[in-house]
Amino acid sequence: MLFFRSEERVREWCETRGLPLRPLVRIDQLWGLAHAWYATRLQPDSRRPQPAEMREIFSRLGLAGDFWDPQSDQFG
Amino acid sequence: MSMDLDLNVKLAVYRHFAETARRPSPEDVAERVAVPVDEVLDAYKRLRSQRVLVLEADDASIRMAPPFSGVVTQHWVDAGGLSYFANCAWDALGIPAALHQTATVHSRCEQSKEPLRLEVGFDGPEPSDWLFHCAVPAAHWWNDIVFT
Repeated sequence: MLFFRSEERVREWCETRGLPLRPLVRIDQLWGLAHAWYATRLQPDSRRPQPAEMREIFSRLGLAGDFWDPQSDQFG
Repeated sequence: MSMDLDLNVKLAVYRHFAETARRPSPEDVAERVAVPVDEVLDAYKRLRSQRVLVLEADDASIRMAPPFSGVVTQHWVDAGGLSYFANCAWDALGIPAALHQTATVHSRCEQSKEPLRLEVGFDGPEPSDWLFHCAVPAAHWWNDIVFT
């Protein structure tokens, strides 16, 4: 889970390693993920999002497709 | 009983990270929770199985208490006069979210190594055209969370 300066830099990084290009996430979307996962992390009732909650969070942030499905069997 | 202990250990670990920006030793946690170190180590194993903590090979040193990293990484966050290490780009934004503090996130472009400096306010980061990329699909994130 890494930062990149541009899509071109992501493509170069993937090609160098023989990895497929995955969905690109904007910084404002990343903040949405970080806030959803961690805003209550220091509180007693905090817990990690469960699969259904994860799907709702991803959908709300515009992150769609099998890549974001925590129970997808599309990736072996 | 163990559920109460596990919760208290988890909170002690997270409060130590938040207050010091460094991982606690089992002795630090034992002192905060007021239990023997052996009970802390047993709780660590249960919290690891719940994916709350990631431990080093010694089963006693905390590698990850997401978003906090117990080891030095390329992602660090300045907040409240402390400098925290994050496990990944996602967690680098997770630290100001967890602390509810303004922060400066430092990282780099993984391809060009260009430095990233990102100011984060209470409502999120300043506008930025940098991107986040994850090579591992969500269904596989915990197969090897350190690589992910």
